[in-house]
Amino acid sequence: MSFADSLMAGLEIVGNIQSFLALFAGVAIGTVAGAIPGMSATMAVALTLPFTFSMTPITGILLLLGVYKGGIFGGSIPAILIKTPGTPASSATVLDGYPMAQQGRAGKALGMALWASCTADLISNLSLILFAGWLASFALSFGPPEFFTLILFSLTIIAGVSGDSLLRGALSAVAGLLLATVGLDLIYGTNRFTFGSPNMMGGLNFIAVLIGLFAIPEIIGMVWNPQVSADETRSLGKNWVTFAEYKKCFRSIVRGSFIGVFLGSIPGIGAAPSAFLSYSEARRKSPNKENFGKGEIEGVAASEAGNNGVAGATLIPLLALGVPGDVITAIILGAFMVHGLQPGPMMFIMNTNIIYGLFIGLIVSSVFLFLIGSVAIRGFKYVADIPRGVLFPGVMVLCIFGVFAVNNNIFDVGVMFAMGWLGFFMMRFRIPTAPFLIAFILGPLLEDNFRQAMLMSGSSPVILFRGPITWFFWSITLVTVIAIVRAGIRATTKETPPLPPTNQE
Amino acid sequence: MEDRAIQLQLGIGAMVLSLFLLFVAIPSWVSSPSNVPNIILSPLFWPNVLAGVAGIVGAGMVLTAYWRPKPAWTEPPDVPSRPAAFARLAGVAAIMAGTMYLLPVLGMVWTAMLVFALLAFLVRTRHPIAALVCAVVVPLILYGFFAHVAGVAIPQGNYVRLP
Repeated sequence: MSFADSLMAGLEIVGNIQSFLALFAGVAIGTVAGAIPGMSATMAVALTLPFTFSMTPITGILLLLGVYKGGIFGGSIPAILIKTPGTPASSATVLDGYPMAQQGRAGKALGMALWASCTADLISNLSLILFAGWLASFALSFGPPEFFTLILFSLTIIAGVSGDSLLRGALSAVAGLLLATVGLDLIYGTNRFTFGSPNMMGGLNFIAVLIGLFAIPEIIGMVWNPQVSADETRSLGKNWVTFAEYKKCFRSIVRGSFIGVFLGSIPGIGAAPSAFLSYSEARRKSPNKENFGKGEIEGVAASEAGNNGVAGATLIPLLALGVPGDVITAIILGAFMVHGLQPGPMMFIMNTNIIYGLFIGLIVSSVFLFLIGSVAIRGFKYVADIPRGVLFPGVMVLCIFGVFAVNNNIFDVGVMFAMGWLGFFMMRFRIPTAPFLIAFILGPLLEDNFRQAMLMSGSSPVILFRGPITWFFWSITLVTVIAIVRAGIRATTKETPPLPPTNQE
Repeated sequence: MEDRAIQLQLGIGAMVLSLFLLFVAIPSWVSSPSNVPNIILSPLFWPNVLAGVAGIVGAGMVLTAYWRPKPAWTEPPDVPSRPAAFARLAGVAAIMAGTMYLLPVLGMVWTAMLVFALLAFLVRTRHPIAALVCAVVVPLILYGFFAHVAGVAIPQGNYVRLP
């Protein structure tokens, strides 16, 4: 099928009012959710997922992608206005965005954040369109041994989402892999940790685990300490970003976008490191480097370009190889599976229309992001005013309905509650939850491909080293593991005692 | 809690979990046919590998706990009153247990209304009227969407049934 044919096939399924409405609604929901401190883009995508069940696959996935895109941008609004990043990706935006707000230039900072986000988003989406198909055609020659080594390498992404302690990340991942073993064995059909319950024979429901792990701990945390101070709001000021300022920052925006694309296409790096790298590069190259950290508009542009440049690129490994690049794409991978689709190289052959439909939707999402972002900047005050004592009970009720709707099974609601307590325990003991989820998703794939490879070779492990592709993945896995271990040892031995917080701000 | 104490507790916990899995959980709750040609293909292989890795990670955590520097200051408590906080946690646990019991009896909509109101009360909302209105409206809207748009058979319970 030629490019034009594929494009027309994509347009055929996406060129309707429902798809564009879903995308528009997704961007709006994501922007609002990202702008509420305590609600992350991850939580927003997880909570939106049950609403997609009744939709066609393309409409549902466009809705989720819209939430993802909107959520990443929305996080910058509270980062600039109240120094509370709505998402971890917006942490770098605080550095210059908040000082700008203190100087009465919040409108300018938010405007630049929006322009930089939309530019980076567009560049990231175009990169996805250019590279995903190429990578998928290469991956068509993969068999179980190649997939096993690829997934093994992908598990090293856990290091990127482990936060301060790699070992806690590893513990979290092992727990996720163990939980993924629950259910009937895929080869012999015997029970594994099912305790005789028919509800557990199919394994634990992905949506129940996901929502339990990401939404319920926030609610329990709110119950643990309800004395959350009311979020202050700040006026936007009269200054708005000008085209001349955008032009001045354009070089940093494009550089940040490409940093985002590069880091986003490597599973596990995520948006926050990309934003900080883009920020530090902009600072290094800027003639106003001494103004960075004191309210430099180029700093806001670079950080936002860095974190939004990741958004489209994380879909490259997801669509081309079926490997999630971060937690949100892991949830979107789950959404594909719920709708009976398996992202990966075969999807580029079997479901070309869906792939190209998504590409078209993603390009349109940049326009929607610009429109909705402009309104959201002005309307944030009302979003932040939703009292948490009303918001969180509402989230709980939404979780109950959403999780039940997956399989029409009350047992799943119980699984969600149990996972919520596990998530709260992990939060209290500072164990990252992202490795748990990624391992829970990749675990069955890793085991299945390993056992299929062993069946193919009559249990000879030599098959796992059968060609250049497997050798390539073994090599980069080894290099990554050595780098992670060295960095971990260095961080542990050179760690200085934490200092008490100061009240200088 | 001090970070190194957490690391140590987690390490010990992981090693205990590993031993529990290897000697109790896997032999008791993972079954394998007797004619498996090779241990690598057995349903027992993967859980055993993971249990072993959990033990190694736990040992690593115990070792690194001693390398961690002692904090120069004591972390302030995160809640004003820990007994009250634990009482609220018990409350939310009771709400969850009650939800599981009431879902088939009262139905999802009425149970969700109760959950909303109780949770808002538990976190001492400053907007009780808004919370009560939302407690009624939100479950009804969700019921409307899931039952009539998504076609999900929402449990109706034994008493009051919704159209």
